[in-house]
Amino acid sequence: MSVIKAVNVTKTYNETKVPVHALNGINLEVSEGEFTAIVGPSGCGKTTLLNILGGLDHPTKGSVEVANTNITNMKDNKLIDFRLQNIGFVFQAYNLIPVLTNKENVEFIMLLQKKDKKFRNERSMDLLTQMGIADKANQRPSELSGGQQQRVAVARALASKPKFILADEPTANLDSKSTATLLDIMAKMNQEEKATFVFSTHDQRVIDKAKRVVTLEDGVVVSDVTK
Amino acid sequence: MILKIAWKNVWRSRGRSLVVIGSIVVGIWALLFGTGFMNGFMVGYMANIIDHDISNIQIHNPEFKKDLDIKFFIKNGEEKASTIRTWEGVKGATTRTIVSGMISSPKKASGIQIRGVDLKNEAIVTSLDSIVSEGTYFEGINRNPVLIGSKLAENLSVKVKSKVVLTFNDSHGNITAAAFRVAGIVKSSSLSINEMYAYVRQEDINRLIGQEGQVHEIAIITDPRFEESAIVNKYTSIYNGDIAESWREIAPELAMMSEMYSSMLYVLMTIILTALVFGIVNTMLMAVLERFRELGMLMAVGMNKVKVYFMILIETVFLGVVGAPIGLFIGWATIHYYTLNGVDLSNYSEGLEAFGYSSILYPYLDTNVYITVTIGVIITAVIGALYPAWKAIKLNPVEALHKI
Repeated sequence: MSVIKAVNVTKTYNETKVPVHALNGINLEVSEGEFTAIVGPSGCGKTTLLNILGGLDHPTKGSVEVANTNITNMKDNKLIDFRLQNIGFVFQAYNLIPVLTNKENVEFIMLLQKKDKKFRNERSMDLLTQMGIADKANQRPSELSGGQQQRVAVARALASKPKFILADEPTANLDSKSTATLLDIMAKMNQEEKATFVFSTHDQRVIDKAKRVVTLEDGVVVSDVTK
Repeated sequence: MILKIAWKNVWRSRGRSLVVIGSIVVGIWALLFGTGFMNGFMVGYMANIIDHDISNIQIHNPEFKKDLDIKFFIKNGEEKASTIRTWEGVKGATTRTIVSGMISSPKKASGIQIRGVDLKNEAIVTSLDSIVSEGTYFEGINRNPVLIGSKLAENLSVKVKSKVVLTFNDSHGNITAAAFRVAGIVKSSSLSINEMYAYVRQEDINRLIGQEGQVHEIAIITDPRFEESAIVNKYTSIYNGDIAESWREIAPELAMMSEMYSSMLYVLMTIILTALVFGIVNTMLMAVLERFRELGMLMAVGMNKVKVYFMILIETVFLGVVGAPIGLFIGWATIHYYTLNGVDLSNYSEGLEAFGYSSILYPYLDTNVYITVTIGVIITAVIGALYPAWKAIKLNPVEALHKI
């Protein structure tokens, strides 16, 4: 069953002045449980594609379906709610809320989903345990290393039980040891929780770990390899 | 959790938040103290005029009110005053004989109003005995004692026990003069008392004008818990032919001043709170701009715009919620202290007394003012948050997430 279906997606910036074609007719389908890496050189359109697949940006042409719902022309407010229920995000710079504890950061998404306190508590502790940072639950993000913060971010993305998780260059700020640990955890979550991951990356270690690698060049898919 | 985040966000930049909270505290304190100070002036001024001079209610023969002709007495005035004293809400009632005339000393003469007073009841109604600054309250002089105001005594160059001559018309229109001896000098912040009145015993003046047992004025002091209008209505419903007026009608300029001072509170509040709005907007705008990426993340992961908007709004209200009670408490404590001890303005006493103000000021604030100020601060905080909150929800998550 496909969770993402992008058909002929085009994105052009500055349409009225000097147009920049970031994406040129991308067709992409991602099925449940995939561990997909979108790769390519800087400026090839990886982040733009992820933003469009995640409903953070609208395509200039084409359509995007997530879990059989067409989100192409969805209104902003509706999209926010849709993202909350269906999509998890992991950002390159972690983007955790500094004033909350790590556990509260994970709980926060479930709170927005109006999950009850007991569920939130159990799920957040369970995820932090799986990430190997349960002992850091009551600390603030600033007290953790970059790799640990990114693990909290992954736990936060998984907390809402999304249809898939989009991770934009998740290892770009991490050292090799942290990268390896994070990739192992994500692979484990992919297998155990059946979580669907779509990464943008040019980190070879991530590419090696991915089950499917989609390569972009100048806004076009030039290869799509399933291992 | 939004409340929790908002609260924690307030303390993210502790110094900046403390500056805003400090400005709220100072603003509220200044507002309360300024209002209390002005109110103290007003209440003190009005209390002096009402308590020592015009009283809460006055009753006259309507014809007497027109030109102070002494032949227009209140019929059965003493009897009516005795009845009024028994009414609920009346603290005291006194009768007066009022005659226009001249006072002369060996050096000067001056136009005055001679007030023949019932010594016991006048002391109850106007506390005349309490404002005797020199000499006694009609004691120590057996024949024709008189009390005069301090300014009048100065103008006439007379002292206690000096002899003065009062000249006036009797009830037949004949000019009558009688020698009086100054028993005491009264001093009040009321210009009339200091300059215009000569108090004599009622029986002395009545004997001299040839109308014994008659009165021109009944002055009533009321219990503050009772409406003056109720007593005025009661009197007019029982006694026809007399005119009963509350202080608002006797001295409409006082009532107008009272209203003017009330509206000054709102003017002062508007000025201070407007200044506060700009401080709050500035702080919250900085807080929003600093957290652009975080706000973008919140919207990206599913926090809707209404929640983001309210989070910023709540953060601002928290600033007010922390600052307002401190400001209210300090304001209340300052006013409470000075209400008990008074603000000594004796350095400016001459100028203040020239305008009828007391040189010791007792700031006063009604509970309503504290409530009004609290509501005002909360509204200010909300207004101050509107623009930064609007700015927050207008951001594009994609752009915000890539802001460095």
